[in-house]
Amino acid sequence: MQKMDCHNFKEVLDSYFCEELTVETNHLILHHAERCPPCRSEMASRRNLRLALQRACAQDQMSDDACERLRTLLRAEAKAGYVAKVKSAGSRRGWWAAFFDLKLALPMMAGVAALLVAAIGVATYMQSPGRLPIPLDPAETPSAGQVAALHLSNALMTEAASGHRKCASHVKSDSTSQGMPDEVNDLDPACVDLDKIAAEGAQGLQLCLAHVCGDPDRHFAHLIYRHEGQLISLLVTPRDGRAMQTGQVPIFVARLAELQESQQTELNLNAYQTEKRVILVVSALPKSENEKLAHTLALPVVKHIRRIENQAALLKWPEFDRNFAEIELLSTARGGGLR
Amino acid sequence: MIEDSAQNQLQRLQRLQAFETEALGFTSQLYRVALRLCRDKAKAEDLVQETYLQAWRSFHRFVQGTNLRAWLYKIMFNVYYSGQRREKLQFVGTEETIAETIAYDPPTPQQLTDEEVLAALEQLPKDFQVPILLADVEELSYREIADAMGIPIGTVMSRLHRGRKLLRTELTGYARNAGYTISK
Repeated sequence: MQKMDCHNFKEVLDSYFCEELTVETNHLILHHAERCPPCRSEMASRRNLRLALQRACAQDQMSDDACERLRTLLRAEAKAGYVAKVKSAGSRRGWWAAFFDLKLALPMMAGVAALLVAAIGVATYMQSPGRLPIPLDPAETPSAGQVAALHLSNALMTEAASGHRKCASHVKSDSTSQGMPDEVNDLDPACVDLDKIAAEGAQGLQLCLAHVCGDPDRHFAHLIYRHEGQLISLLVTPRDGRAMQTGQVPIFVARLAELQESQQTELNLNAYQTEKRVILVVSALPKSENEKLAHTLALPVVKHIRRIENQAALLKWPEFDRNFAEIELLSTARGGGLR
Repeated sequence: MIEDSAQNQLQRLQRLQAFETEALGFTSQLYRVALRLCRDKAKAEDLVQETYLQAWRSFHRFVQGTNLRAWLYKIMFNVYYSGQRREKLQFVGTEETIAETIAYDPPTPQQLTDEEVLAALEQLPKDFQVPILLADVEELSYREIADAMGIPIGTVMSRLHRGRKLLRTELTGYARNAGYTISK
């Protein structure tokens, strides 16, 4: 571009901001702006517009739930072994060409046959009762079995109701709490400061008790609130086999784990699940009121716990920990180290 | 066998960690573009999710050292196009608007709120919105936009040129309505 007049200036100004122009044209732009006040002003306005666009669009963020769903799906895929083979240095010819290589054809056919046998085996296993649900494709409609696998056990509901009754009987009319004690850290580090996390949803409720309770088989991080003479419990407990109706802990799929409800003699319970924990709200309030309360009181806790679990999940897969230890042992025995 | 299985799992863990570290930082950037493509939050989230699953499955094909973000956008457009039966972004009913505005180069208002800018962007047809978003907000190069969208670079430049003019026209209307003075 030999000449930079006002018309040319405005035509290429946006590309200047995108750093798409040559050094010479950039120079012409700057030179023109220096001696032409209206174009200098236009330059400032367009820069402002660009910044305003960036600011305005930055407000659109993926929801926490969607991010969590994405991580869960990725982990489930990796865990299930769906990952393409890593190319080795000598595989540049491509697998199709290699297929016709006589040296490879037989092993590859054997591999295909083995895969078919494995697929039939997996399909048969999936038909058997009590299996773990497979990770869901988001587009798929979940089967009744997959939804049922997420049902919480009646035993858990009974234990939660019993926990509420026992602890509520110790609460006096003037009881107040100083907050969750430090011992909760030994039980469940995610519940440290549980009262402060729950405070967001506990507007208008008075905290009477914050403690750890339960027996060796089932423990709870337990908060009790008072509202208009009624005592309301918020309980957090591990999502173990006993907590599930099937006795097995299925792969967690957030979009299927809806609020579940239960009734135990004069008490109503509502429960949320995270990957590792169950969060329950228990009270003698009517069913609809308890459910409403569960939304406001438990959701901030659920979000907090899911965030913590997401951060920690990857490195805490027990299979990987165990296998990593095995590899280390094997390597040490051979006098070699991990790559 | 135990050793093989353990090594495979460890390899998968390491690859997933690398993938998450490198790729998951772009979720919101992809989501912003997906939102303009789908015009629906739930669909946009699904599109981003499917994009990441496809990217994870093809991560071994990604050439380290190249632009991962551009690669993710390319996958996202492929997923989107395949969902749309490969109908790439087309000009639909916008030619007349362009014909009316193309000869007029509106000045850029000096004072604008972010909300007005966003509202003006939403008024544009998505075949203009998306390149503007990719170039001016996400700061992809014109070549990267062309590669991601699967269209010639000349088409990208033409859509950007027309789209930005339309955006300024929309904003001029906003500015006038709000009583701002437009510099000539």
